Formats: sequence, structure tokens, C-alpha cells
Amino acid sequence: MSPATARQAMPISSPDSRRTEAQPAPRQKVLIRNVDFYYGAFKALKNITMPLHDRRVTAFIGPSGCGKSTLLRVLNRIYELYPGQRATGEVMVDNENILSPGLDLNLLRARIGMVFQKPTPFPMSIYDNIAFGVRLYESLPRHELDERVESALRRAALWEEVKDKLHQSGLSLSGGQQQRLCIARAVAVQPEILLLDEPASALDPISTQRIEELIAELRPDYCIAIVTHNMQQAARTSDYTAFMYLGELIEFDETERIFTRPKQKHTEDYITGRFG
Amino acid sequence: MNVYARRRIANGAVMTLSVAATAFGVLWLVLVLWTLLENGVAAITPALFSQMTPPPGSAGGLLNAIFGSIVMTLVGTLIGTPTGILAGTFLAEYSRGSRFGEVVRFINDILLSAPSIIVGLFVYELMVVPMGHFSAWAGAVALAIIVIPVVVRTTEDMLNLVPNSLREAASALGSPKWKVIVMVSYRAAIQGMVTGVMLAVARIAGETAPLLFTALNNQFWSIDLNAPMANLPVVIFQFAMSPYADWQTLAWGGALLITITVLILNIGARAIASWSTFKQ
Amino acid sequence: MAADTAVVGRLAASGRRGGVIGDVVFRSLTFLFALLVLLILGGVIVALIEGAVPAFRTFGLSFIVTEVWNPVTEKFGALAPIYGTLVTSTIAMLVGIPVAFGVALFITEICPLCLKRPLGTMIELLAAIPSIIYGIWGLFVFAPFVQQYIQPAIIGIFGQIPGIGALFAGPPLGIGILTAGFILAIMVLPFISSIMRDVFETVPPMLKESAYGLGATRTEVVLRVVLPFTRVGVIGGIMLGLGRALGETMAVTFVIGNAHTISASILQPGTTISASLANEFTEAFGDLYRSSLIALGFILFVITFIVLAIAKLLLLRLQRQTGG
Repeated sequence: MSPATARQAMPISSPDSRRTEAQPAPRQKVLIRNVDFYYGAFKALKNITMPLHDRRVTAFIGPSGCGKSTLLRVLNRIYELYPGQRATGEVMVDNENILSPGLDLNLLRARIGMVFQKPTPFPMSIYDNIAFGVRLYESLPRHELDERVESALRRAALWEEVKDKLHQSGLSLSGGQQQRLCIARAVAVQPEILLLDEPASALDPISTQRIEELIAELRPDYCIAIVTHNMQQAARTSDYTAFMYLGELIEFDETERIFTRPKQKHTEDYITGRFG
Repeated sequence: MNVYARRRIANGAVMTLSVAATAFGVLWLVLVLWTLLENGVAAITPALFSQMTPPPGSAGGLLNAIFGSIVMTLVGTLIGTPTGILAGTFLAEYSRGSRFGEVVRFINDILLSAPSIIVGLFVYELMVVPMGHFSAWAGAVALAIIVIPVVVRTTEDMLNLVPNSLREAASALGSPKWKVIVMVSYRAAIQGMVTGVMLAVARIAGETAPLLFTALNNQFWSIDLNAPMANLPVVIFQFAMSPYADWQTLAWGGALLITITVLILNIGARAIASWSTFKQ
Repeated sequence: MAADTAVVGRLAASGRRGGVIGDVVFRSLTFLFALLVLLILGGVIVALIEGAVPAFRTFGLSFIVTEVWNPVTEKFGALAPIYGTLVTSTIAMLVGIPVAFGVALFITEICPLCLKRPLGTMIELLAAIPSIIYGIWGLFVFAPFVQQYIQPAIIGIFGQIPGIGALFAGPPLGIGILTAGFILAIMVLPFISSIMRDVFETVPPMLKESAYGLGATRTEVVLRVVLPFTRVGVIGGIMLGLGRALGETMAVTFVIGNAHTISASILQPGTTISASLANEFTEAFGDLYRSSLIALGFILFVITFIVLAIAKLLLLRLQRQTGG
């Protein structure tokens, strides 16, 4: 039974079920330390400090505008594409500060994969979509590249559906398939960390469920951070949850505890739907 | 007559006038194309495509002029298109909000609508005077200068249509910026960019003024790009203004050829553009 | 942990084909070609000034207001071409703007949906037809037609009226300023109409609906709601059309008659700057003759530059207004 279905089968209020599964002790992969973020003069993130654990899923939740996507985008410095946006503080990935100015951004982004809210297949064949990232950094012989593409598509639970049409355009797939294509594209370069920015919010309920199952399957191999505005999704899929509000980190804890015994009243208000 | 009746009559009058105006506009198009066909078809003979421009009073064709037009249009396009694409790429991808970008865009739009005879004068001073003679190269350069602003504009517009999320997705995989542009943005915008080039070619295919002082004309067959070269528009100019009937017939034939080419390119470009929006 | 360093190691070892260097090269390349666009305009200005200086030095600023144009005695004046350019363009605007407005009105407000695309395309094909085609058509088809029917009618109607009659004096020649202006109108109307159509489409439907809801007729909605809302764009489009009309060469050259004279009557032949250049430049003998022609080109360039710059600024302002 996969961890996802195990979690769904049990009511949230029995944490013991999780402890009976054999799991490696969680290791800190990323440590966000005193991070501020500015859009021009506007301070969007205020002194965020929190860890992300390896081989675990961490969810960022909070009302619109709280900064959860902003924080996610700090982690692969994708904000650097836009002048006027900047971050201060430190983000330690395996004891290396990735916010340091001299760091090679392209290499960084090859270690950290990102999937966006709206599916963004490139205007090329399915095969080339997956191979795009791989070709950037490795010159693999054809059969190895084929294997890499296949294994990425399998990981994204898309292989069976597209194996006969790898040379068709990525745009010819349905919305849910396109998003899984983007996930496959991200895992093909074998990153260590996966950032998912509301990956299912543009999809129908069935595709959403498949994405959530996918996340559970990817969990043992990656450090995953997921932004979601859907609290139930956060409860279903994540091990840790960070609740944010107006650019501040209000509470960070194991998902079980946040949803059953939150420490901050603000968190409780949000979870119980008093505001949102 | 009460106010309402007067308003209705005024409305009816304006509506009728606007229908008339549209019919008027379409009428001229039909008239021009019709007379072009009527007068030009007589000249469409095999001889048109196999013989050179004749002296007055003898039979001949337009082969050297057709060849010259094709060559100079091709060379002008080959020079102007990469230049325009790269400059347009700069405006779309590298110059967000910068003063320099705004100035370039402004100047580009001025060049876009500038009189083409001025371009001819410029290339005359730039190339013909130092070289000491007219040449097909000068003609091609003049045409290239007309192509560049068109391609810059369409490239910039098409690249601006590519959604930022696509660029972010490529950057998030660790792609350097130039690969994001060349391998993702260009591919996404390719249809629009091709349309832009087709429209630019359609524009220079019929341009006369820039060739008047650069490539001039050549009565004989020539493949020397370093010498004056015959071309359809200038030949039409010369022959149509002349009093000789057979020259005038040839002029109509040449005019028909140019018009057919231009219309095919225009309609083709529109077809590609609407096919691509239909696909999405 | 070992797996992580393997990933980093593999990435670093691959040497990252075309990374930073590629970015620098590509960016510089695009910058250079963008700079080239500026240089082209700069070059045009420099070349024109350089070529025009001898003429201006000889004649001074009175060059602009002198009518005489005599290559033999080497006395040149720009007044006739400037006059012709301005008058033909004015006629083109007077005829073209209302027709373009009518076309834009029809296509955006009245036309059934299925006809919109084909009609729009047909009007735009008017713009695609090269100038020389209008020229040859004008010379052989339109000018005789004007000579046979239109000009006699005009002379009949207006010729006897004192004052205005002078505008239409003289025998019907077919060619002349009026004919040239009229052909320019046909050439310019698709540009103006296309911009008008674009800006008319930007009017929010709710704005028009609220006017209709009050019982306004279509004409009233267009004149009182659509036009005021879009006036900046409309003026920009008109100025763009004017810029085109001022610079048109071949169509005008064929039908204007090429006479360096100014006459009160628009039925008479005349000349424009571009027509003079097209007709005389390759046969111009003597440096002063050539320089005078280039000076004409310079004057044309200045006039069109000003008109196009105003058009562009207006359209930019419109863009900022509508945020698009």
C-alpha cells in the first residue's frame, strides 16, 4: 500500500499509523535562514527561517498573496530573470548557500526542478521536451537518452499513454498529461529537489488525484516542496506544512500536528476556514 | 419632422454612406486587378520568360528583369532578415523598459514608414558614389534596409506573444538564456516570424524607388552583381512611360507578374497566420 | 549523500556546453544589430545633409520658397515640389479619411460576421499592391477616365463659380494634381482604415451597450462614444496615412505631369518631391543639380519624420491608456 493511500485510509488523528512504516530518519536538505524578499521596494517575505527535509514533502499553505509562491521561487532563484526582484538572507542546500552572488544559476537550476501552475510544454515533440534538459548538460548516446526519456515518463506515470507517440508535439496532450509531461521533464535531469507551484490547480479532479499519487511515488527519492491553496491537498500529500501569512512564516510543523493541534491561533483560524 | 425621425434619417444616411465607402474601396481593388489582368494577360507568353528586354520596336521578353528582381529580392531578404530578427530579439528579450530599447523601437517605426526613395538616395551616397557605378549589390542593400524594420517589428511582436511561463520553464531546467531564446522562444514564435518575412518580401518585390538610383537598369542579360542589373519595377517604369506600344504591353505583363507574386505572398502569409491561431 | 555529489560532479564535469560565453556572445550580437537600426537612420540623415549642403550653401534658405527650377541656368527652388507634395497629400487625406472611416465603421459595426474577414482582407490588399502598379494603372486607365468624365463634370459644376472656379480652371488633361491626389487617397485609405478598425475594436462592449441601452442609434454610438474614446488612435492612424502619402513616389510620378510650376488650379500638372527625384535624379548633370535634388529629399525626410514621430507618439500614448 503506497504511503498516499495509507494516509487516505486512516483518519488524520492517528499519527501512529505512519510510525509503523519503515522510514529513514528525516535529514535536513535545505535550510532557509532569515530570508527577505523584495519586489522593488515592497517587502514580500519577512525573515523566513525553516527547513526542508530530504525525501519528504513540505507544503506551503496560506491565503492569496501570503508569499508562498514567492518563497518557492527563491529556492531556484528563478526570480533573477526579473530586474527589481531580490532576496537577502541565506538558503543552505547541503551546507552551500545558494543565494551567494557568484553562484552559477544554470547549474543550480539543474539540481532543482520546478513545475509550474499552468502546464508549459515546449513547442516540440514529447521526446524532445524531456530530452531538452538532459541535452543541456550531458551528451548521451542515443540509446542512453532513450532510456532516460522512458524512465522519466514512467516516473511521471505517462509512459504507457505516450510511448507510441513520442514524436508528436507536446501540445497535443490533454491538460493533465501536459502537466505530467512537465513533471517528467523536471525529473529527467535527475535533480535533488523538486519545487511544485500549485501543480494541480489548473487541472480537473481526476488529473489532480493522479498528480497527488505521483507526488507520493516521487517522495522517496526527492526533497519536495509544494505550494498549494488547497488545504486538503496539503494534508493528503505532505509530511511537513508551513503556514504563511502576509509574507511571514506563522507556523511550521509536521502536517499531522498543524492540522490537528496547531500552535498559533492564526493557523487554526485559517485551517478551520475562518478566513481564506 | 420630429427629432426622432431626423435621427433615424441621419443614422440611415451614415450607414448607407459607410456601405458605399466599403463598396468604393473594394471596387477600386477589383478595378485595378481587372485592368491589370486584362492588359497584362496579352503579354504572358513563353517569350516573356525566355527573351531579354528589347529595344523599342522589336519583340522581346522580360527574362533579365525577372532574374534581376529575383536575385536582388533574394539577396536583400538574406541580408535583411537575420539583421531584423536579431534586432527584434534584442528589443523583445533584452531591453525590457530600457531607454535604449525604446529609442530603437521608435526609430525602427520611423524607418518602417519612411519614403523608400529616401532609402534609395541614402544607398546611392553610401555605395554608388564610392564605388563609382551602379550595382545590383547596392540595389539589394537598399531593399534590405526596407526589409529590416518590417522583420524587426514582426519578430518583436511575435516574441512578445510567447508566454513568460515557457521561458521560466526552460530557465528552471538550467538552460542559459540564449538557448531559451533560440530553442524555445523562436520555436514558439516561428509561424509569426515566417509570416513577417513573407510580408517583407511582398513589400520589396514591388519597390521601384529604391532601385532607381542603386541598381538602375540593364538592357542586357547580366549576372554580375557588381554592375547595374535589370529589374521588373524599373523596366515597367521605363516602358510604361514610353510611347511604344510593344514596350507598354511588356510593362503590363511585368506589372501582372509582380502583382500575382505580391498577392500570393500576402494571402499565403495570412493563411499561415490564421492556420496557426486555429491550431491553438 | 554519495548520490548527490555524483549529480553535481557529473554536471560540473560535462563542462556545460555553451553557457556563459554563449549568453555574452548572443546578447552582444543582438545589441549590435539593434544599434545598426539606429545607425541606418543616422546614416540617412548624414547622407542627406551632406548631399544637400552645396545647394543650401548656394541658395540659402530661400531655396524653400523659390519656384524657379531651371537646370540650364542652374537656378533651383523647392517651392513647386513642396507645394505639390502638400497639396496632393491634402487631397488624399480629404478623400481618404472619410472613406477609411466609412470602411472601418462598416467592418466593425455593421458587417455580418462571416464577411468581416474577407472584406478586411480585401481592403488590406489595397495596401499590398505596389506603388508602381497604381502608377501604370493610373496612367493608362484612371487618368483617361478622369479626363473624359470627372474633370469635365467638375469644371461644369464648379468652373463658373467665382473664386472656387480658379481651383478648377484649365482644360481637362487627365493627369495632374487632382488625379495624383485621388490615387494617393486609394493607396492611403487601407492604412488609415486598418488602424481605425483596430482602435474601434478596443472599445469595451459594455460602453457601447450602455449607449444603445439608452436608445442611441448606431451613428450616435459611433460618433459620440466610439470616436471620442478612440480619438488618439484615430489621429495617430491619420498621421501615419499622411506620412505614407507624403512619401509616395511611383504612383504620383506617373500621373502628376512633372511640371515644376505652381498653379492655383488642381486640374493642372505639377510635381512632388518624390516625383522630381524619381524623374530627374539619374539624369541630373552637374553637382548643383544633383545637390538640389538631394536637398529636396532632405526636406521630404524632415517633413515625413515630423509627421511619423507625431503619429508614433500619439499611438504610444494610446497604448499606455489602454494598457495594451
